[in-house]
This record gives sequence, C-alpha cells and structure tokens, in this order.
Amino acid sequence: MNMLQRQSPVRFSARPVKTEVRDGWTVVLEYAAQGDGLHLIDLSHRAKWDLQDGDLSRFDIAGTPIPSAPNTCTLKNGTAVCRRNRTQALIWHLAGDPPELPEDPALTDVTEASLLAALTGPNIYDVMEKICSLDLKDPAKTTPRLIQGPALHVPCLIMDLGRMGDRDVVLIACSRGYGRDMTEGLLHAGAEWNMAPAGETAFTRLFDI
Amino acid sequence: MSLTLTCPICGERNGYEFRYGGEDKGPRPDRAGLTPEQWCDYVHMNSCVAGVQKEWWFHRDGCGAWFTTHRDTRTGLETDGPDSAAQK
Repeated sequence: MNMLQRQSPVRFSARPVKTEVRDGWTVVLEYAAQGDGLHLIDLSHRAKWDLQDGDLSRFDIAGTPIPSAPNTCTLKNGTAVCRRNRTQALIWHLAGDPPELPEDPALTDVTEASLLAALTGPNIYDVMEKICSLDLKDPAKTTPRLIQGPALHVPCLIMDLGRMGDRDVVLIACSRGYGRDMTEGLLHAGAEWNMAPAGETAFTRLFDI
Repeated sequence: MSLTLTCPICGERNGYEFRYGGEDKGPRPDRAGLTPEQWCDYVHMNSCVAGVQKEWWFHRDGCGAWFTTHRDTRTGLETDGPDSAAQK
C-alpha cells in the first residue's frame, strides 16, 4: 500500500528529539533545547478548512455555528471557527483528531496549501509589533479574535487566542510558498527574546491546562 | 502620497492593502434593449471626476471584502466612511 508523504513548508535547524508520523506528516513533538520561553511552533499539519457560501448560517462545524460578525472566532474542543467576511469562514482543528471533511462543495481542505504557526509565551505581541502594523494590543477587543492583514508584507490570517494556561498564544497563517521566509522572519524578529522552535506538544498541552 | 482606507470589516488600514476596483457606475444596465454602444460606455467609459467620487475597493491583503467608499481624487483622501451595505 502506498502512503502519502506530506511535507511541511517549514524546516527548523533545531534538532528534533521526538517525532511521530501522522497521516503522512512527520510531526515533530519536541525539539532539543526548546526550553520554556518564547516558542515558534509549526502547526502546518493541523487540518484547516476554508468555507465559502452565500449563507454561512446554515453551517454547524463540530457543534459550533459560524459567528455572525466578521473577525470573531469561537474556540471549542480544539476547533477554531472564525468568520472572515460575509461569505467566507475558516475552520482550524488545533487539538485532537480532526473530523472527516463533510461532503459539501462549500468546504475545502486547505491544510497542505498553507503555513500555520503558533507563537506562544511571553513577548509574542512585541514580536508581532516588529513584523506588522496591525493592532494586536487593542484593549477594547476580546479574544479569541481574527485579524486579517499583512505581516512581513505577506497577506496573513492572524488569530489571537489570548491567554491559554500560562502563555499568550497567537496563530499566524499564510500561503505555503511564504512558509520558509515567514518562519525565518519570525525567528529573526524574536531573536532578542531568544525565540526557539518548539514541537507540537508545547502547543497541544495548552488545551489540557 | 499616502493613502489610508477604511475597510467596513477591518477598519482603517494602509492603502497598499487594497486593490482599486474602479468608479462606482451604478447597477449593470438591463439587457433588454441594450445596444453595444451603451454596453461599451458602461464597461469602458469613466467620469474621471476631479473631486469626490464613489469607487470600489477590494481588501486584497485582508478580509477579501469588496466595498464602496468616497474619495476626493484631488487629495486622495477618503471623505466618507465605507458603504457597508455594498459589501460583496
């Protein structure tokens, strides 16, 4: 039987110490010397769906309706559902096993077409301030929320999850082709706070706290 | 010249995030009785107003919404907020 080999758009120079093959992806669970400071975590293998329809109210994703207002999100059972505009929403399965993609032409699996990375820990908003002019510190806004705009001059979807357990969390997604440069740029911006690549476990454990 | 535009979804943003969609020419003309000249005028001819004009913009680097807004072509500045009812 042939197995699909899926490749993340991201390669870190750090040495993986614990990996797992999952649905064709080689997922790094832990890197050597990742520490517990500021982390950059590759989540590109996590299932991501794009939803486009003239009537988004008819959808119910894993028991969660699509939020009615653009740029608002719900995070439930490890699944983030965010509305982008009148006709489009995104669904990211961040923890646990993703469900099967429903047989509906409005839904498209874009997992392999995009980079998804998480910034966790202290100073993540300072890092984001260095790479984009978007206001992530607006005290009037509540989390989780979606911010759509450029970072490092690349169109991005940025999801601010706020405080999860003992860490602040921001997710950043962009087209796969920008993946390597985006993560290099993030690591460069976070160098003054000793940002380090971290494995998936450093992210998924936040859902258990 | 710097340009900022107000997206009805994302708020005020740098003009470089947007793509210009042309003047707002009103609704598409009815097909019944439409002559090629009228259609050509609708598609290709612009008013090129020196002043406030209603125009289409697309938030290319952001939410992907189409919207109309009013901009003074002499200064490049928005004069009114976006027409949120016109979102596509």
